[in-house]
Order: sequence, then structure tokens, then C-alpha cells
Amino acid sequence: MLVGVDIGGTFTDLVLSKDGYLTIHKLPSTPHNPAQAMLEGLNTITGNQISALERVAHGSTVATNAILERKGAKTAFITTQGFRDVLMIGRQNRPVLYALQPQLSAPLIPRDQCYDVPERLDHQGEVILPLDMAAVDRVLDAIQAQGMESIAVCLLYSYINPVHERQIQDRIVERGLMERWQVALSHEVLPEFREYERASTVALEAYVRPVMGRYITKLEQQLPQGVGLRIMKSDGGVIGAERIKQQAIQTALSGPAAGVVGAYHIARLAGYENIITLDMGGTSTDVAVIPGEPIRRPQSEIDGLPLRIRLLDIETIGAGGGSIARVDAGGALRVGPQSAGAVPGPAVYQRGGAQATVSDANAVLGRLDADHFLGGGMPLDIEAGRRVVGEIAQQLNISVNDAAKGILEIANINIERAIRRVSVARGYDPRRFTLVVFGGAGALHACDVADRLQIPRVLVPRYPGVLCAFGLLVADVVLDYSQSIMRLVTSTTIDDLANLLEDMMEQAKNDLIQEGVTDRDHRLYHASLDVRYQGQAYELNVPVSDVVNDICEAFHRIHARTYGYAIEARAVEVVNLRLQAVGIVDHPVITAESEKVYQPRPSGQKGDFALYEREALKPGATFTGQALVFQLDSTIYIPTGWSARVDGYHNLILEHA
Amino acid sequence: MDAISLEVFRNLFASVAEEMGVTLQRAAFSPNIRERLDFSCAVFDVQGRMVAQAAHIPVHLGSMPASVQAAINAFDSFQEGDVVILNDPYRGGTHLPDVTMVSPVFAASELVYFVASRAHHADVGGMSPGSLPLSTELYQEGVIIPPVKLMLSGWINDGVLAMITANSRAPQERLGDLEAQLAAHRAGKTRLLDILIEHGVQNATEHAQALMAYSRRMTQATIQTIPDGEYTFSDALEGDGQTEFHIPIKVKITVKGSEMIVDFTESAPQVMGNVNAVEPIVRSATWYCVRLLTDEDIPVNHGCFEPVTVLTKVGSVLNPEFPAAVAVGNTETSQRVVDVVLGALAKAIPDKIPAASQGSMNNLTVGGIFQGQQFVYYETIGGGHGASCTADGISGRHSHMTNTLNTPVEALEYTMPLRVLAYGLRDESGGAGQHRGGDGIRRVYEFLTNATVTINSERRINAPYGLNGGSPGAIGVNTLIQAGQSRVIKGKETVQVQAGDRLMIETPGGGGWGKA
Repeated sequence: MLVGVDIGGTFTDLVLSKDGYLTIHKLPSTPHNPAQAMLEGLNTITGNQISALERVAHGSTVATNAILERKGAKTAFITTQGFRDVLMIGRQNRPVLYALQPQLSAPLIPRDQCYDVPERLDHQGEVILPLDMAAVDRVLDAIQAQGMESIAVCLLYSYINPVHERQIQDRIVERGLMERWQVALSHEVLPEFREYERASTVALEAYVRPVMGRYITKLEQQLPQGVGLRIMKSDGGVIGAERIKQQAIQTALSGPAAGVVGAYHIARLAGYENIITLDMGGTSTDVAVIPGEPIRRPQSEIDGLPLRIRLLDIETIGAGGGSIARVDAGGALRVGPQSAGAVPGPAVYQRGGAQATVSDANAVLGRLDADHFLGGGMPLDIEAGRRVVGEIAQQLNISVNDAAKGILEIANINIERAIRRVSVARGYDPRRFTLVVFGGAGALHACDVADRLQIPRVLVPRYPGVLCAFGLLVADVVLDYSQSIMRLVTSTTIDDLANLLEDMMEQAKNDLIQEGVTDRDHRLYHASLDVRYQGQAYELNVPVSDVVNDICEAFHRIHARTYGYAIEARAVEVVNLRLQAVGIVDHPVITAESEKVYQPRPSGQKGDFALYEREALKPGATFTGQALVFQLDSTIYIPTGWSARVDGYHNLILEHA
Repeated sequence: MDAISLEVFRNLFASVAEEMGVTLQRAAFSPNIRERLDFSCAVFDVQGRMVAQAAHIPVHLGSMPASVQAAINAFDSFQEGDVVILNDPYRGGTHLPDVTMVSPVFAASELVYFVASRAHHADVGGMSPGSLPLSTELYQEGVIIPPVKLMLSGWINDGVLAMITANSRAPQERLGDLEAQLAAHRAGKTRLLDILIEHGVQNATEHAQALMAYSRRMTQATIQTIPDGEYTFSDALEGDGQTEFHIPIKVKITVKGSEMIVDFTESAPQVMGNVNAVEPIVRSATWYCVRLLTDEDIPVNHGCFEPVTVLTKVGSVLNPEFPAAVAVGNTETSQRVVDVVLGALAKAIPDKIPAASQGSMNNLTVGGIFQGQQFVYYETIGGGHGASCTADGISGRHSHMTNTLNTPVEALEYTMPLRVLAYGLRDESGGAGQHRGGDGIRRVYEFLTNATVTINSERRINAPYGLNGGSPGAIGVNTLIQAGQSRVIKGKETVQVQAGDRLMIETPGGGGWGKA
């Protein structure tokens, strides 16, 4: 028995896989103690047989929330003399271009907890000033007096030569000031150049590590012995709880990752390789492009702080069901980024919302049904929706319906622009993709968004509301290794790198075995190089499998493909060697049921809409818009001109009729 | 024009500039463009009015329209596939390192739009590496590119390209950056044509005009909130790189209803050195200030400019005559223009306007020969921001007319024969007050080879002003340490350094607000 558990702000979702069958369960979250709902849910879904579980895969927002709410550990920061303010200055730009009074987000580590020590390496890692241990001791005295829980150490060029960072850690342990795990070293967390990004990442790691460690330890204590616990990382892979304690920051942007992994598996199973995911919730929408394989990128930020970890390339915009519509002083209709959130929420929710939102507009147009929301568990006040959208209509001097359509059109163009940024702007043509939609509000917008981008097909999974929990269940173990190289390519480069790579693979193999991936056929390795022209500031990732004869030739080819030109006379340098080790997880075997084509009878008719109940639709069901399909946690809107078909996996496939 | 399609087209036009920017950044070669994002992209209508812009650099805000106008004026006709390139400050440019390209966009063989990009190139020749010299005429500042067609009907003019790159100390890098700009234009044209095909040219044109009218209304609504009256303010530059002397920058702002006249005609006559700023820069700085006052995220287009009239006098430091030197008018004089405009507005709306920020970009260029190879390096340094009625100023960041990123020390030392010994905040440099000004930066370099170093900085004599009783920020200090001897050098100076010499640049703090 395997279980995936996704703890969201409102609901905790569980998906259990046993003997090829999936069971789902949903219960309210317990934000003060997230583990409570999880354990309760595990008990229910296993029929009080938690100890029969082999493994639980879990997506956690503990690290994310600790950062956003500034409730992480009391952390000190130690760096090279002269650079104490590296976290304060950042890249010396201000976050907003046009602001009378620009403001920065609050630092994780206040300035009086930042220290520098005499030591210096040059850019080749040669020691030009040895570490002054007496100065280190003075700094540690001060840190001791401040009562810190963790320390982040980031010295210049430690990714080439970590000697001084290690000496500082050893000294801390030797003095009994802290245990080894409480000291995060930058060359271990992120062995790559660019001091501010590395410092920021290691500071974040030190800041969340004690919090995450406590959370996991508590969870492990409450789970029966022998139940393996895996945690999702921001890159869509999972790793064992023990390892995540040392890499806590890897979870910080994992929130939207599980859903994308789930969508990827469902779509592949159904035979669609190229997908764009659309996950629309109450306050925001996440989109991602998966051209055959998920794309990972090396950097993002959280609350204005750069975070350089591998993560799924997901674009988030402030447009959701709760986004507020208003007419601005210049007479334009605007939607978002302000959101009514869950409380007060859209006016139709009857929780005090008094401003028109995207959900209100959907309700006005009959796309949300008063009696079918959350399976009828939450009656909607459509009149309240008409009232607030009516106010917008009055200001614009148009009908209420036209105002509602306008609100949706603007929400949709915002989503379109986000999808364009991840697809067209990166050379992927949306006309060759399938839009996979999930999250509470997504299926109301999917067909309209698909039309705008000429995406030919929309796939709505059987359980769009628990796709994240499903993603956890099917996520593979992913481990990343990197090594800074910073060398011009010469005739010996390939051989040198091959030796390094061999060591890396050996390490990766052992780690995968430790993660429980004992079957050799389940272990995969993807090696790649970050390569650039000498003097260029950013690198292109070149898979080692693309290097046929020499690195330069492969790089020129990829550069030309990506940017439209190559400079063959220019020297090429290798910046990093990377290895991604994947442990394939046994996926639940889901077999397709046979499709018997039939036309289902609508369960009702409301205005122009034929109404269907999702649960009643069997594989082979075929019908056309305009129609609404209701299910527990989602409503699917199928416009005129679209046809719907239920495939063998109970996915709803929408295409132009 | 209805409120809904207005918002739709605002997104459509913005996506053109946005996709150009993504392409340019990703394809560019130099750290200045890729790491520091010193570029902007924009869309213009057939009359050369700006429709949409993706700007990273405020100083590009109002100065790019002049480039498109210059391209229109220079040629009788355009063909599909043409690309005009220029950097001449007296014909559509600002200073020579800012190289602008303009492409006509055709629909059914009719010229309907232009797309344009501007990027700061790290070296375009001239008398000192980095092309921001202490010059006395334009000819010393680098290669002058009048509006010429770099591409003709889709065919690149290799001769023009070779001429330009041959004049740079880093020709390969120039080539890569120029190619990247061309790639951005291809992306922009493709996206714009998609929109025109889908929505129709006529429809798009009507919406472009409606968007300009919209931004005009929003700007007018903002000006309306400023009490009618005349507001004056005066400040000064500290010399022209040849001599240190006061160069007054004066403004008289007349607010009447929803219009504003910003008159700089009382400012100093043009000077011999490099601080002259061509008029588009002055317009840019003024519009930037007005843009700061608008709360809404209004689209930046021609309409924003219409309610604001900028007056300058020909032959003045803010509207010099060819061939006056202009190298740092773009970076330093533009900051002082902002200071006087905001200073004057503070008299009208004291609760909104912050005290002066550092007022300089602290331009440093270093060049020479290391291990047989030419090298050129350019960077700017952040400083303190002014405090306001509501908050302290932030520390160690770029202010107003620039927002470029720093080059990481670990990237800089890898490619340049320099070592950064310290990079931190300068304690107590922000002006005291009820709200404190932000602190400046202290950055110390060691040179590992002999080199030519040029500094162009301001606020080394006149401190950034405080407001409402707040103290001024600390002035900046440039200190050269040679053979153990340290000496303060001028705000604008070129020095020859030996291996082992050190340079410390301390940037100004921001002014305080209110009595402490």
C-alpha cells in the first residue's frame, strides 16, 4: 500500500494505491498542526491499518510558510571579510522600477547576526589569505551569546575549494556550539558561482532546516516503524525524509510541483506526450510546459529572496477564481492581482465578499451552478454575484452578462500571456500541445484559454481536485549533483570530465540504494554540462548524450538552435558538470477500460446548458457543448463548438467538434 | 472603445515588447546586458509614437521615441526586412554606448508599426575603455553611428557590422550583442504580425490609439491631484570632468489643472566636458518623475507624455549643440534632473515626495591589456535612497534612472584582472531624520595589472538633499591607494593604475526626511 498526501491550505488530500486500485480521501486541513489531518486521513484511508503502509509520499509547505511568515530558525551568517552585507545589498537593484519609496522584503537574517572573518581565496581556489581562527572564535563567541539555532556559512569561491568553510564548521562542532547538521555550508548546498545567490540559498537552508527537521522527526514518531516517508522537492522528485532534513530548502517551492507531476503521468498514460498544465486556484494560477519531459530550471525566488535550486519550470500569475475585477480611473476594466481569497471570497460564496470576482462572473453566466458547488455542499448566492458584477456593468454602461464575459476575457488573456511566456517565448508551439487542467477553477476556463492559443485539445483528469496527491504517489526519486568546473574546453576536457562523472555516478548509485531503489533497472542517470562562450554570462545546458565528438560542436549546435546563431571561432568553457540520478518508483498499474461509444443523457438542462454528472459518465461517453459537467471539487465548462469524450481512464477529452 | 478590449490589447502589445526582452536577454553576450539587464524594448506606431514598452531602465523610457523619429526622418522609405541602427545622440541616441535598432513592420506591404530595442554596449571605442571618457567633444567618445540600415530587405550589411565591431575594444562581444538585438527584433515582429493577422490592422490601430488616450487620462488624473501653482528648485552638477565648478540645473514647474509645464531653460549653458545631456534624456527623466506619482500600473506609452511639456534651451547643458561631449549626461545629469523635478514637486505635495537619493550612478570603467589580451570592464554602483514621510530610504541600491544589477564578484574576478576586497554598506552615510536616508556602499578594488581607470560620479561635493528638516546624505568619496599612499580623487577623473594599486569608492547616502 502506497499513499500520496497533499496538505493544502484548506484541504488535505490523500490518494491510496493498493493492488492496482486507487482510493481518494479529502478532509479539512489543520493549519496549526498539519500532521494531525494527515494522520487522521491516513487512518481513514487505510481502514485503521497505517502499519500496513509501505510508503507515504508527502508534499509539505512547512519550509515555505516558515519563510513567508518569517518564522524560521534564529540563524547567523558568516562570510568572507569585506562581504558581511552581501545579503543586504543583493544584486543592488530595487524590486520595483517605478516606486516613490521602494521597499525591500524583510531580511531572513538581521544585519547584527551577520559576520565576516579574515580569509580569501582567488578565483582558482588558491588560498591568498588563510582563515584567521582567532577571529572565527571571536565571531562564535558573539553567536553563542546571541543564542542562535543554526549558522549559514558562505565564503567566496568555496565551490572550488571548500577548505575554509569546513574549518569553520569543524570549529563550531569542536566547541560544542552546535551539531554538525545545524551548520549549512554553501559549497554543499549549492556548489556554484555567484556569491549572492549562493549566500541567499544557504541562508534560506539554514533558516528552515531546524524547523523542517522538527516537523519530520515528529511525523516519523507518529508513523508506525517501517513506513517509509518521502518528501516532495521543488523539482517534482521525492527523496527520503532523512535526506530532506539536510536539504530542507529543496521543498520550499514544491507546492505547485506535485500537480504538474500528476498531470504529466495521467497525460502520458492517456497517450499525450506534449502537455501544458493549467492549475487555477482561488488566488493564483500555475502554468507549465512539458515537451515530452518536465523542464527544470536552476533558479527562482521566494518572497523576493533568490533561491538557486532545481525546480520545475512553473510560471505563477496572480489570477484565480477570487481575483477582483474593478474599473480603474482611466476607464479600463482590470482583473487582479488583488484577490478576495477564500475569505471574504467571491460574493457568491456568501462569506462577506462584496467585490466582483472571476468566480462571480462565472456564476452570472451560469457556469457555476448554485446547487452543485462542492457537490452541493456549498450553496451559491447567484443573485449576490449578479449584484456585484452589476456594479461593474453600470460603470461601463453595459449589460451584466457582457460585464461578466469581459471579466472572464481579461482573466483568460492574463493566463494566455503566462502560457505564451513558457511556450512561445521558449520556442514551443502550443498548437502541438494538450492542455491538462486541474485545480478548482481551471476547468471553467480551459476551453476559452485553449481557443486563444489554438491548443487543439483539453484533458480534464478524472479527479482534478486531488491531482497533487496523485502526483506524490507517482513521483520518482530524484537526486541532483553538480560540480563547478569553470574551464576552457581543450582536447583533454572530455577525459577529465569522464573521470569526475564516474565518481559522481558512484556516489549517486550509493545514494539511490540508500533511498530504497535497489533494482538496478530502476536507476537512471542523466549527465549534462553547463556550457557557454568564454565571456558570456549565462550557460546553456548540454546533455552529455548530445556530445558526439566534442563539446564545442554540440554547444554550437544547441546555441544556434536556441538563439539563432553560433560563434564557432569563439572559445567555449564548461561551467558546471551536472548529474541527475532518478530512481523509478513502482507506479500503480492503471489499466484502460474499454470505451463503448454512447451518448449520455444529460442529468438536466439549465438555460442553454446541458448538465452532466461526472461520476455517471462512462468510458466512451460522447457529447457536445454547450454543457456543464459537475463533480465534487470542480465544474467543467464546455462551450458551443467543443465536443467531449470520456476515455478509458475516465479522463474527459475536449476537442473542437 | 470598450473597457474590455482595451485591457485585452494592452496585454497584446505588452507581450510583443516582453517577448523581445526575453529573447534579447537570453541571447546577449555581454554581462552588461545578460547579468545587468541594461536594455529596453518597445513598439511604436507608424507615426513613431510609443505604444508599449518593456523597460528595465527608466532613462530609456522617454528617449526611445527620438530614435524611431530619427529613423523615420533619415529614410524616404522602408522595405520589409530593414533594420535601422543608430547611436548618434544628436540623431535619436542618448550616449554612444546605447545602441538602438529600429525595424519597420509591414502588413500586406503597408508599413504599420515599428519595433525597437536599445542596449548598452560595454565598449564602442573612443578615448578610454568603456566609452564613457572625460571627453570634450563627441568624436572622442566612440564610433558615431548615424541612422543607417544594418539590414536591407532581410540582408545584413556586413560592411556596416564590420565597421561597428572594428571600432570596439571587444569586437566579438559586440557582434554577439548586436546579433542578440536582431534576434529580439525577429521575435517582436513575429509576435506583432500574429496579433495583426488575428485581430486585423485597423482594429489594432484603433486600440493602440485608445491605449494612448487611456494612459493620457490616467496621467492627467495624477497631475490633477497636484495643487495648481509654480514650483521651482535648483541644484547643480559638480563639474564637467575637465574642471570642478557648479553647473546649475534649474527647474520651474507650472501645474495647471491636468497639464504640467516643466521648464529647464534657466539651467546652465552647455559645458566643454561630458555632462551635457541631449533633450530626450531630460524628457525621460521628467516623465519618469511623473510616472512615479501614478499609483496604477498604467501602460507606458505616448499618452503618458502628452500632458507634460518639457522646455529646454538650445545650447544649454540640457540641450547641447553638436558636437558637445555627452558621455555621462545619460547617467549623471539625468539623475540631477530627477532631483530638481522631485525637489520642486516636494513643495507642492510634501507628503508624497522622498528626499534626494544618491544622485549618481558611480560609473567605473577599467581597461588595459592583460596577458596579451585587451580587456574592458564597466560597472555602476548603488547607493542610499532618500527617506520620505512614510519610511526610511533603502540602502545600497540603484535609484531613479537606472536599475542595473551588479556583476557578481565571483564572475568579475574570473574574467577581469581585478579583485574586489570589500563590498558593503557604508554605515551612517544616510541622512538623519524622522525617517533616515538609506546608506551608501563601500566598494574596494585591487588592480592585478596596469590599467586605465575612469570614474564618472557625482554628489562628491554637494550632498543629496534632505526634506522637511531631514539631514542630507553623506557625500561620496573616491580614494586611490598607490604604494601605501591614499589620496582622494575627483568625482570625475581618469587615472593610470599599477598592479597592486587599490581604489575605494564610497557612494552617497540618501537624504533624511523630517527632523530627527
